[in-house]
Amino acid sequence: MAATPWESDLTKELKERFGDQILECSTYLGQDFVVSTPDAAIPILEFLKLEADYDYLVDLTAVDYPKRPERFDVVYILYSFARNHRMRVKCAVADGAKPATAVTVHSTANWLEREVFDMFGIQFAGHPDMRRILLPEEWEGFPLRKEYGLIQQDDRWVRENLNIESGQ
Amino acid sequence: MGKLFRTVFLVDLLQGLWVTFRNQNPKYIYTEQYPSQRPKISERYRGAPRLNINPDNGETLCISCNLCALACPENLIVVTSQRNEETRKKELTTFTYDTSRCMFCGLCEDACPVDALELTQDFEMASYTREGTILDRQMLEEGPHPTQYRS
Amino acid sequence: MSEATFLDTTELVLNMGPQHPSTHGVLRVILKLDGETVRGTECIIGYLHRGVEKIAENRTYVMFNPYVDRMDYVAAVSNGLGYCLAIEKLLNVEAPPRAQAARVILTELNRIASHLLWLGTHALDIGAITPVFYCFREREEVLKIFENYCGARLTTHAFRIGGLVYELYDGFEEQCRAFCDMFIPKVDEYEELLTNNRIWVSRLKGIGILNEQDCKDYGVTGPVLRAAGVKWDLRKAQPYSGYEQYDFDIPTAQNGDTFDRYTVRMEEMRQSVRIIRQAVDKLPAGPIMGKVGKVVKPATGEAYVSIEAPKGELGYFVVSDNSTQPYRVRVRPPSFVNLQALDVMVRGGLIADVVAIIGTLDIVLGEVDR
Repeated sequence: MAATPWESDLTKELKERFGDQILECSTYLGQDFVVSTPDAAIPILEFLKLEADYDYLVDLTAVDYPKRPERFDVVYILYSFARNHRMRVKCAVADGAKPATAVTVHSTANWLEREVFDMFGIQFAGHPDMRRILLPEEWEGFPLRKEYGLIQQDDRWVRENLNIESGQ
Repeated sequence: MGKLFRTVFLVDLLQGLWVTFRNQNPKYIYTEQYPSQRPKISERYRGAPRLNINPDNGETLCISCNLCALACPENLIVVTSQRNEETRKKELTTFTYDTSRCMFCGLCEDACPVDALELTQDFEMASYTREGTILDRQMLEEGPHPTQYRS
Repeated sequence: MSEATFLDTTELVLNMGPQHPSTHGVLRVILKLDGETVRGTECIIGYLHRGVEKIAENRTYVMFNPYVDRMDYVAAVSNGLGYCLAIEKLLNVEAPPRAQAARVILTELNRIASHLLWLGTHALDIGAITPVFYCFREREEVLKIFENYCGARLTTHAFRIGGLVYELYDGFEEQCRAFCDMFIPKVDEYEELLTNNRIWVSRLKGIGILNEQDCKDYGVTGPVLRAAGVKWDLRKAQPYSGYEQYDFDIPTAQNGDTFDRYTVRMEEMRQSVRIIRQAVDKLPAGPIMGKVGKVVKPATGEAYVSIEAPKGELGYFVVSDNSTQPYRVRVRPPSFVNLQALDVMVRGGLIADVVAIIGTLDIVLGEVDR
């Protein structure tokens, strides 16, 4: 079952406003999502918050597809209290690119973007405090990237800080 | 006036104290005197594992199908077997279960088709060494033997 | 260059370290103080980070089920419910009605257990030592029901993808009804101990106010949002697992301070008992497992499913690529997002209020760090 196109007043307005920066408006298993270019992501979030009542950023996360040239998929999940509707905004980001931060639109993006940076290495331009949140400051590597092994640990950090050979 | 009375004479605090005094009644004692009084464990409790033996002929029920090892999220069951040439069936030789990494999820017990592997009600699995937590076939077949205390 | 004298006041930076009895886990809060007034905080988390999302990419869907209980270890059944609902959404199956009703009963019992632990530890942080014992006495009854049903008290692994694996044991309904009858007078007892107590009221009223605008801006959900006046509950707004059949109210409050969160959670416990009574009366007969094959292999795609966990909106964003292992599992933890609002809530308060506010947010570090 593949994604089917999603048509509504909201998608018409989005397509009018943003034109060809909206790559796709689809729905899968009853969940609607919009795929856009990375530059348009923050203007879309602003538009959705101010004019379409999507005032609650539920989650901000990323998915790693290493075989694509634009390897990361940054996903914003939004919810509107007034419409009782949840939708996603996805954009494809290349390794090393710095998408704009969503903190100016939703304050909750502060820690969520820090976690995306910690796990994937995607830096957000304009973030007030871009540093690691769950792992120690000196950790090297980004665990949720597909090439980071499961058993592999940052042995140098473990040896220096815990005085043992390895965590295993 | 009533409010002044309540504030000066600590009526709200005394109300809370009355709840505490009410609970001093000996029928509200909930403390179990462990280890002389062991708790009542439900029969579905997921405790230490045990390999069951057929009571009629004393042989193990395990058919070495390896389904438990495949179901385990932590890959801590190792089953080895050899093929018996006369009956053409697999016979169990060793069965190793590592309880130090086990999370007692019960997936191995659900996977076993003949109910040979069972998680018992034993929760007293402490050991002095790390090797003592790895159960081999003999320990698994003996089952739990909790220490009895004179009460 | 003038030297600082003994009487000069500067900002004091105090570390409320990871080992602290009142931080509900390993949470490090760095407080910037001016005397005893808090001017700003910084939370450092990650002491309990176990890499659950990375583990998920290396286990099959069925094998990952026991791992999700370990995130919010206080209320493990809800985590399992969220995960199973997410995978069932990807597979496009629905659990049969009997399984859905049993799931509702266990999840509501789980909500009561979580709120009891919250009440006990929150009261203990404030200084009231008695409620802890009473709350844990009641929680013991709930954990006995869980143990009788699935075999474990804390990390229950109660639900499976597609329904339930264990049939409800004989005496389940009687035990649930007996618990409900026993429990309502106990909630009255807690209220008698705390609600009118002048010490409790003065410690909690007016502290840690988070108004509706800030709640929505910071993405805070759960009882914190309801105490700010927003009548929103995922069980009513986007019902799952048969919640639309049951009749219950959503408690809200006006001010959004700590005392309001206390009243909202007490009322939620009473409403949970109401739901359990209705579900036990209406428990339908039938199968307990839906049509799920031996090997769980959803089609390529992604889905986000969220439930109303006791602490807020717990969501699972699962991306699958038509193999037996998930491609990405993202857990949206309510405690992580709620903890961001701590900075806003403690400004201008005293250190003792920081303890009260951390308690009232009801965070579990297993969920914050995953």
